[in-house]
Amino acid sequence: MGSYTFTKGKDIKLKGAAGDEVSDVLSPRIVAIQPPDFRGLKPRLAVAEGDSVKMGTPVITDKEIDGLCLVSPVSGKVKAINRGLKRALLSVVIENDGKNTAESFPSHAPDKLAKLKKAETIQALLKAGLWPAFRQRPFSKIASPKDEPKSIFVHAVNTEPLAADMAKILDGKEKFFQAGLDVLTGLTAGKVHVCAKSGAKPEILTNAKGVECHTFSGPHPAGNVSTLIQAVDPINKGDIVWYVEAQEVARIGRFFLEGTYPQQVVVALTGEGCAKTGYARTVQGAAIKELLPGTQFEGKRCITGSVLAGREIGADGFIGFYDTQISVVPEGGHRELLGWLMPGAKKYTLSHTYLSAFLPEQEASLDTDENGGHRAIVLNDTYDKYTTLDIVTYFLLKAVIAGDIDEAERLGILECDAEDFALCSFACPSKVNVGAIIRRGLDVIEKEG
Amino acid sequence: MNKLLAEQSKKIEEKFFAKGKPLEKLYPLFDAMDTFLLTPGKTTKSAPHVRDSVDIKRVMIFVVIALIPCILMGIYNVGHQVQAAKAMEPSLLGAVGIGLWKVLPIIIVTYAVGGLWEVLFAVVRKHEVNEGFLVTGILFALTLPPSIPLWIVAVSISFGVVIGKEIFGGTGYNVLNPALTARAFAFFAYPAQMSGDAVWAAVDGFSQATPLAVLSQADRGSSAVDALAAAGYTFQDVAMGFIPGSIGETSTVACLLGLAFLLVTRVASWRIVAGCWIGVVAMGLVLNMFKGPEALAYMNLPPHWHLIMGGFAFGSIFMATDPVSSSATNTGRWIYGVLIGMLVVLIRVVNPAYPEGVMLAILFMNVFAPLIDHFVVEANVKRRLARVQQA
Repeated sequence: MGSYTFTKGKDIKLKGAAGDEVSDVLSPRIVAIQPPDFRGLKPRLAVAEGDSVKMGTPVITDKEIDGLCLVSPVSGKVKAINRGLKRALLSVVIENDGKNTAESFPSHAPDKLAKLKKAETIQALLKAGLWPAFRQRPFSKIASPKDEPKSIFVHAVNTEPLAADMAKILDGKEKFFQAGLDVLTGLTAGKVHVCAKSGAKPEILTNAKGVECHTFSGPHPAGNVSTLIQAVDPINKGDIVWYVEAQEVARIGRFFLEGTYPQQVVVALTGEGCAKTGYARTVQGAAIKELLPGTQFEGKRCITGSVLAGREIGADGFIGFYDTQISVVPEGGHRELLGWLMPGAKKYTLSHTYLSAFLPEQEASLDTDENGGHRAIVLNDTYDKYTTLDIVTYFLLKAVIAGDIDEAERLGILECDAEDFALCSFACPSKVNVGAIIRRGLDVIEKEG
Repeated sequence: MNKLLAEQSKKIEEKFFAKGKPLEKLYPLFDAMDTFLLTPGKTTKSAPHVRDSVDIKRVMIFVVIALIPCILMGIYNVGHQVQAAKAMEPSLLGAVGIGLWKVLPIIIVTYAVGGLWEVLFAVVRKHEVNEGFLVTGILFALTLPPSIPLWIVAVSISFGVVIGKEIFGGTGYNVLNPALTARAFAFFAYPAQMSGDAVWAAVDGFSQATPLAVLSQADRGSSAVDALAAAGYTFQDVAMGFIPGSIGETSTVACLLGLAFLLVTRVASWRIVAGCWIGVVAMGLVLNMFKGPEALAYMNLPPHWHLIMGGFAFGSIFMATDPVSSSATNTGRWIYGVLIGMLVVLIRVVNPAYPEGVMLAILFMNVFAPLIDHFVVEANVKRRLARVQQA
């Protein structure tokens, strides 16, 4: 049990919060499985266009991890296989027949879950296509079933702008969530840490059995996985911890209890670009157009995840595997006269160089404009204000840019991921994408082992 | 209106500056003017998808805005000193007129020559024209004596921009503060035009010792404050800046106005400025312990005088705080600042060769800033290692 408070960082109060309303899109017309969601996946197609699939049929397998697969969340027909540059597999689109004909898996009684053998559990998760829910640090990639993690983190606190409320995500799923936790405890000799926002609902987040519950408070990035790990069970070179999103834990629990692929997810529909914000109960991988009826997508950017850490998917995109949030924001690109001189009563800034910084804080309307040209880093005191990690960001950044991998490791790059520096990039007047540079460093380290 | 301008600009770009067009090489120059007029209007390519409204252009312009009190005061005081030297009837308009006549050419030459180098390097090395030069240029001009020959201004700013900055890769990569590098070059290459008693009022053949010179020449054992009073320097005059000196540095009050602006907008590091001032007072107090009948008059100078004399206020507020050449850790910023303050006093009092120590102290600590940071960063590495082993 621990309670952690952070003071650094900042909650960007964007327009377009999700509100309370939950809509049901329980049988979307099309869904997709998207390899770019999964770091470390070497995808191999297991189906062809026109094939019939059931709910739980493998669609993509992995070339490296034996038995790893991604499965169809619905029953129907493979409608399209989309590839990008160098034939990289972007998505497999499935047309939903609405029947939910399911592959069948063994089901278990709730009291048996904690006693499952580790090897059995892993095999069941792999087969069900739920193994990718387990990711590891360092590198934020799909965990290897052969590793021994020193602990498993359940990520149940999200401080990203307009993040979904856990109470909505886990509403009515407390039983599944506890079952999922029981399954997780069998996978590590170490502890399972459930990390939630202090005062978070549902109560299971703070009183779950068989695990350690921790609470976090403070502005973003207090809820980032790296922050949780560094606070609770920090990793050094050679250590591995696993982490799982709270919604995935509930899905895993449901799978073990019911024996069918747990297709249902809840996502928050956020951002001022949405015609109507709220929550949607839907199927994993659903097309966002079906979730956002009435929304005009012209001149808007659709992101799965948050505006700080998410991925652009376009108006025809689908919810990401791990994401509990869709953000739709206006595209930028409007040129303004003498922008460097204007007082800017309505400009959003974390600096104090616009009049708005001295006015009462209002909900921010942000578009995707970079708001400035790229320059070398000049204000190197910006970064440390916006990361909760005990990391000297500027020096880590320099080590990565200089290609000094040993130094980067000493400075703690293995404890971080790109998302931890999203606010640094946001605030940087030189418009340096700090997270992308850190990610580049991580990729090099991973490749060179 | 904005749309129309943007369209025109796009047309000009496509006709002359785009790839394969006649003026392709001059694209950085076009880009500088284009983005001066209109914000770049580029969108993000990946996460984070949204960005803060602030950019380097605005930050740099804000430093220039913070310098406006010093510029205005400098212009007035240059004229005021000429009027005093020639025993003319003091008049505000007259002083400003004379001041403009003396100061504007220096600023124009600095910007023209330095700007040329900046653009040349931007074109050859294919990087953007950096707004940092707007700051470097005006900072350099304000640290010069008003009687400086313009050719020295041109040569020195060339040295500062090229050797102090561009050969390291341009703004953001320099080790030393480029404006101070330029000034140091002028100081050592042309000492007759940069130091002594004759250069501070822009009147031929007129000489007047600055407060710093008065003190370094004062008799051993005499009272420092009395020596200043005998030379006609009151605390109030020195603080307000109605004294001979470099163009923009004489008025501590003007510098403090600039500091207030920089702190409110959070552009400068308050830690460095506070460190400098603490360092000066601390070292001043230490030296006070050595005062006596045989000791230098400087030893009995109350430390607060150090804060208002010479270029200390200007240097600590506008030069030491250059984020690129100063320490890049918060702990480091304190150490860096305090050491600058202590060195300033040491050079002024103990070193007989240089009456003023601000420029040298800051340049010296610029060189040491990476070492300070090294120790701070190592402490971070050790702390994290220890924590992991405990857990």
